[in-house]
Amino acid sequence: MQTKNIRNFSIIAHIDHGKSTLADRLIEYTGTLSEREMEAQVLDSMDLERERGITIKAQTVRLNYTAKNGEAYELNLIDTPGHVDFTYEVSRSLAACEGALLVVDATQGVEAQTLANVYMALEHDLAVIPVINKIDLPSAEPEMVKKEIEDVIGLDTSNAVLASAKTGIGIEEILEAIVHDIPAPSGEREKPLRALIFDSYFDSYKGVIAHIRLMDGCIRKGMQLRMMATGKLFEVTDVGCFRPAPVDVDELVAGDVGFVAGSLKNVRDVRVGDTITTGENPAAEALPGYRGVTPMVYCGLYPVDSADYDSLKDALEKLQLNDAALVFEPETSIALGFGYRCGFLGLLHMDVIQERLEREYHLKLITTAPSVIYHVHKTDGEMMAIDNPSKLPTPQEIDFMEEPYVKATVIVPNDYVGAVMEVSQNKRGEFKTMDYLDTNRVMLVYHIPLSEIIYDYFDQLKSMTRGYASLDYELADYKEAKLVKLDILLNGEAVDALSTIVHVDNAAYRGRQLAANLKELIPQQMFEIPIQAAIGNKIVARENVRAFRKDVLAKCYGGDITRKRKLLEKQKEGKKRMKSVGSVEVPQEAFMAILKVH
Amino acid sequence: MDYELYLHIPFCRQKCFYCDFPSWAGQEHYMEAYTEALCREIAMQSSLFAAAGQAVTVYIGGGTPTTLPLPFLQRILRTVQRCFPLATGAEFSVEANPGTVDAAYLAGILAAGANRLSLGVQSFNDGLLQRIGRIHTAEQARQAVSMARTAGFKNVSLDLMYGLPGQTLADLAASVAEAADLQPQHISIYGLQVEEKTVFFRQQQQGRLQLPDEAAAEAMYDYMTGELPRRGFFRYEISNFARPGFASRHNLGYWQDVPYLGMGAAAHSYWDGRRQENTADIAVYIRQVMEGELPAHEEEPAARSLHMEEFCFLALRTVQGIDRQKFVEKFGCTLESVYAPILTDMRAKGLLTVDDAGVRLTKRGMKYGNVVFAAFLL
Repeated sequence: MQTKNIRNFSIIAHIDHGKSTLADRLIEYTGTLSEREMEAQVLDSMDLERERGITIKAQTVRLNYTAKNGEAYELNLIDTPGHVDFTYEVSRSLAACEGALLVVDATQGVEAQTLANVYMALEHDLAVIPVINKIDLPSAEPEMVKKEIEDVIGLDTSNAVLASAKTGIGIEEILEAIVHDIPAPSGEREKPLRALIFDSYFDSYKGVIAHIRLMDGCIRKGMQLRMMATGKLFEVTDVGCFRPAPVDVDELVAGDVGFVAGSLKNVRDVRVGDTITTGENPAAEALPGYRGVTPMVYCGLYPVDSADYDSLKDALEKLQLNDAALVFEPETSIALGFGYRCGFLGLLHMDVIQERLEREYHLKLITTAPSVIYHVHKTDGEMMAIDNPSKLPTPQEIDFMEEPYVKATVIVPNDYVGAVMEVSQNKRGEFKTMDYLDTNRVMLVYHIPLSEIIYDYFDQLKSMTRGYASLDYELADYKEAKLVKLDILLNGEAVDALSTIVHVDNAAYRGRQLAANLKELIPQQMFEIPIQAAIGNKIVARENVRAFRKDVLAKCYGGDITRKRKLLEKQKEGKKRMKSVGSVEVPQEAFMAILKVH
Repeated sequence: MDYELYLHIPFCRQKCFYCDFPSWAGQEHYMEAYTEALCREIAMQSSLFAAAGQAVTVYIGGGTPTTLPLPFLQRILRTVQRCFPLATGAEFSVEANPGTVDAAYLAGILAAGANRLSLGVQSFNDGLLQRIGRIHTAEQARQAVSMARTAGFKNVSLDLMYGLPGQTLADLAASVAEAADLQPQHISIYGLQVEEKTVFFRQQQQGRLQLPDEAAAEAMYDYMTGELPRRGFFRYEISNFARPGFASRHNLGYWQDVPYLGMGAAAHSYWDGRRQENTADIAVYIRQVMEGELPAHEEEPAARSLHMEEFCFLALRTVQGIDRQKFVEKFGCTLESVYAPILTDMRAKGLLTVDDAGVRLTKRGMKYGNVVFAAFLL
């Protein structure tokens, strides 16, 4: 395929605006998969993605399309995640493309997360084709949505395609627009190889497989290649493209998107963002990588069974291979033993990683409450970045503390502006701006402490606006705040893994709520368990979990031991997700109780 | 080899409100065929297993064995004795409901070979008896004990319950006192557990079941575990108390890894390290046996670790607990080599006594038996 007939594009869309359905239609229309091979939502291949209806990992598929002008084209679709947590994945995908489809629901209009991704695409100088989806619905208002796109994003919508991915309207027009409106890649086959790694995964047979976009040069089987950042040399054993399952090809050339595998057994040799070049006659300069990714949320992950510590490490390393945003390092908790402090892009990311560890690696885990990074300025002039409340120095050593704020953008119908303001103010938000997108929709910008976003800000926002609000946020800056450590004592002993950092004004209230929540979550045991919340030496709340009085087997009928065994097994199963903290059995949910405090 | 025999009679006049054992009311039309089938199974099983040794105990349980017409039950008793070699002085128990027996019936089963009678009394409070679905009165229970003695039974056991809806500590104390005054050889006392598919379960779902609160149930437990030994009934197992020399050998056998053959619908066997269960359906049971098939199903593999777990959690029900020497003989390794961390933990929690002879529940451990047993699952 000549470079001039290649098009690389991605799809930007808000959750539920029809991105996956549209991808399916494109695959179907171009005959990439026969109908028999089509499964609904082909690109969301992880079980988790299908269940939650979200895209987490970027995926790639090559479509062959013969345009109306009679020429054959190779269209590479690089799928992107839609959730705010996975913005980083989006930026990687966009760097491999020359264009993007902006899919907007004709009945909903532009949403906050879509905005953020479109801005990113425009920063990358991508050609953006607006696609107004779901025009088959009676409530569709394509003209209004077009106007909104022009007003809010400043995009020309004269070339916008009206479509319905569900019924198939506009699919051909979209394909034609991709061919005509998105520029061909500009690389040259004759130049020294430069291929950008935009994703990777580990295959137990082939080793590390890198997803690449070739900017210049070509790759064939048997070539000696070099990673420019790590210096790792390897021989190409497999080269191919995705349809969407990996298919071997003879070569990939400048402009192509595909994969390469070789003698790459070590996860660390393959860095997403690195450039691959040839062993001999290498390129002089690497491609610009990506902006560094900074985890925003940290939590401790501990195996329930301490024997699983090494398995947890292996699993985290494997996941990290596919997910550069995941960071982790060993940590020790007095209550929980040995585990890892892990950094995530957000709560959904954290949830997804935890679930994948349990599901794909069969680990039973205790997750501690998420924390942001606090800047602690000590009286001796030192500044510490604290991602774990239990590491906070004593109040005497602290001069002042700062916490991270985000710029939160909320788009909401007019009627709910008051609700957004109320929720945001309760979460210590500072009002910044308010703009009308059209006569009905309003965009509000607040600066809010990231820790408050973690404490169910979005949940409250959604419930107060009956689900109409969409939210996007990005890290803004650090601001001084009066913060204190809230400790929890079980049976008189402080449990480090239950400590949190809270604003002094809410501390007592949070302590009372947390103690009350814990009372419900910690099961009755053979002795009474006092639960105390403390700020420094001051106890601010106390609850009691009463002891259960007895646990005696009833009559054993006619030697039916099997039944007794089943009963005992059930009892034991219930204990499996609990961790012994001192003499108290604490279930996983207890460590997350702080998130349920309003 | 010594083994035990269990025979199941799945008929009842009426289903008690707490009962989820395999027993049915209104199935009297099956009694004759069932007796025939059971006798046939006894013969079939004996041809396979009787020669392995001798039966040291026989237990006829239910259901209510004494709902059978006397000749049926007598036939079953005699068939067992004809088909299996019974050890000299073997314990031979029959369960009876006080509302189903008279002097002639009791004399009849004694004559047919039974030597121990287990009477389901549950309480001596008529109101409570009615509320839990029993078909007899307190007076009938008193008479049954006296008739059993007149008939010549030298070994009588009474079953009591605590934690019943509406029951107070005073109710329980009165029942314990009256039971002891009747001078049986053995008293079993079980706490009520609401099981699925029972009348109580449905009442509970509808919010119509008022059980004593935890503290009250605990007070009853504490009372009876203290009071019965004071009256000469010594605790030899979590729920069982006996005068010296009258601990139920059949009951102890279950906890001491003794093999047993269960016959009849829903009967359980433990033989050669394998646990088996007969079909629970009366009609299916009769058809299978009459066609010459053994009605067993659900055969469990005899994994060593399973055997170990059961050996331990069953033995712990008794006051002797786990015998170290026996454990080594059975499994070729020491108790510590498998359970050291559990023993340390349970001992620290005050639930187990660990010494040179073995491991047994403390007084507190008896109260939290399930916690200890579950810990012994590997």
